[in-house]
Amino acid sequence: MKKSIKGKIAAAVTVSAMALALASCSGPGNAAGGDSPTSGEVSLIAYSGVWQDQYNAAVIEPFKAKYPDIKITYSSKRSSAEMLSALQGQKGKPSTDVAIMDNSVSTSGNKQGLFEKIDAAGVPNLANVADEFQNKEGFGPVVMLDAIGLVYDTATFPTPPESWNVLWDPAYAGKINVNAPPSLLGLSLTAITSKMEGEDYTKSIDKAVARLQELAPAVQTFAPNPDEYQSIITGQTVLGLGQNARGQFYSDQSNKKMGVTFPKEGTVYQINTINLVKDAPHSAAAKTFIDYALSAEAQAAFAEKLFYAPSVTNAKLPDDVKNRVVPTDGSLNIVPLDVDFLSSARDKWTDTWKRQIIK
Amino acid sequence: MTTITTENPVPGTREGLESGVLEAAANKRRKRTYLALLIPGILGLLVSFVFPLLYMVRMSFNEGAPDGVVIDTFTFQTYIKPLTDPYYWRVTLDTFRMGLTVGVLCLVVSYPIALFLVRSTSKYKGLLLAIAIAPLLTSAVVRTYGWMVILGTNGLVNTSLESMGLIGSPLKLTNNMTGVTIGLVEIFMPYAILAMISGFGRLSPQLEEAAGSLGASKFKVFMRVTLPLSLPGVFTAFLLVFVMAISTFITPRLLGGGSVQVLATEIYDQTTGLLNWPFAAALSVILLVLFGTIIAIYQRIVQKIGG
Repeated sequence: MKKSIKGKIAAAVTVSAMALALASCSGPGNAAGGDSPTSGEVSLIAYSGVWQDQYNAAVIEPFKAKYPDIKITYSSKRSSAEMLSALQGQKGKPSTDVAIMDNSVSTSGNKQGLFEKIDAAGVPNLANVADEFQNKEGFGPVVMLDAIGLVYDTATFPTPPESWNVLWDPAYAGKINVNAPPSLLGLSLTAITSKMEGEDYTKSIDKAVARLQELAPAVQTFAPNPDEYQSIITGQTVLGLGQNARGQFYSDQSNKKMGVTFPKEGTVYQINTINLVKDAPHSAAAKTFIDYALSAEAQAAFAEKLFYAPSVTNAKLPDDVKNRVVPTDGSLNIVPLDVDFLSSARDKWTDTWKRQIIK
Repeated sequence: MTTITTENPVPGTREGLESGVLEAAANKRRKRTYLALLIPGILGLLVSFVFPLLYMVRMSFNEGAPDGVVIDTFTFQTYIKPLTDPYYWRVTLDTFRMGLTVGVLCLVVSYPIALFLVRSTSKYKGLLLAIAIAPLLTSAVVRTYGWMVILGTNGLVNTSLESMGLIGSPLKLTNNMTGVTIGLVEIFMPYAILAMISGFGRLSPQLEEAAGSLGASKFKVFMRVTLPLSLPGVFTAFLLVFVMAISTFITPRLLGGGSVQVLATEIYDQTTGLLNWPFAAALSVILLVLFGTIIAIYQRIVQKIGG
């Protein structure tokens, strides 16, 4: 009797453990019952933090009100690279339906077969996306644009600095933050500096490296925490690189303690695309969401919340918002960072920064 | 009499044989039960540790192409770069140096606390112990942010020193190895204290009293009696802190400000920034093998000197 009880306990423990192990291996499956353009569950992967909060308020909540039978599950990641690695891990049997990520990373995802092509038949608002923001091969289009700016402490700079050269001003030594590559901010600074030095960064960045080596001792942090904006707001630094959209948002949040500007030598675009995951479990509902994300209403709402420029031609922005989002009409001096070039340069430039600039 | 025979069967007799067979059967049953009880743990280890480890080792022999493309192959290419490139030697050396410094400093500051807690006869001993290990209740991330606030240019230390007129401009206490070391020592202190307390079992006040009564000075008692008897705890604590320090990521990342490159931050950059998983896996295998060897040698030495 004693033996059989022991045996039963052992067997029960074993079976439970195996069941748990199997359950943990099985991963998220197609949890929602069905999938149609007006019902189902859309799993979205996109940025975390303030981006998530504002996108939730401006796009996801109104979408849920419009389509009450579609549930949105938001999986947040700190960077597009993290999103890509999550999607690579799901390849073949994805649990994610839609991804909003940086253009350079989504282009790689397109090449790796992670995303589906979409057309105006499934996503009618695709027709409103400006021609230059359409994907030439039919993959997910640009959903919003931003650009790299110079973030500064408004008490130190009552008028916005006009040139990137202010970073090299000895008066601000030790009070500068620069996100080193692989961050897009560091990659952008490399291209901008190279252009300022008169070289073609697609061929060589030697002059830029020499100039950035001069800057390095003046940099307080190459990885500001919690981020480049708080570093200025809390007074740790007075100058740095940041994105215009978040910069504008935190400028308001900090009661204009921090400002953001585009220096005259030019800047680099940061572009986000919206992508339908290949073999997405809820493809029909996902297309409805993508369509809504490309609607004039959603694009304007998000611009008002977080100052990203819309990619559609029919979005109407109030003047006070229009003046604060990155111009997409050609009026801004843009330093082009081609996606294919960036893909090969990212690794090399990151290495160069670690070995020759930060040291 | 019967009872005696049953409990202590004489070998070679019928009772003895029966009893031996029964005992063997009982042993077999016991072994089966133990094995069955071990299965959940083994399964858990397989799923959460062995499989990922094997996957990582296999990944390290693949080839990484730009943008996270993994080329399925079998090559040693990913190992050539870290093993031949001086930059990665420097990073490995910095990782080792950080582990060593944090380990030693952690021992220095934790030893007196651990000794005090073991010796204490106070009725508040439990409370004191709880206070010593209370930091473990807070996440290392939160504590690291706390250190960023304390050590920053506008932090508590710099503003205090400036207001006292001791320094003209803020000291650079963060975004470098100094900040990382300070943060790690504090974060690992509770572990060191716990490890030392559990290893101080051989310490005996009577031995110290005996040495004292035979004329040894307090310093001599400490050097000749207390310290040698507490060495097992010291060695365990150092090993624990060293292992945690060389593999730690959050504190070097946050307090290092991008200027402190250790293997863990390098692996993070390769995994999430550059998406070069094969290279990140190769670095992880190197970290595992190199420091695994160092730890094995350390334990051998400790055993030899009787720790």
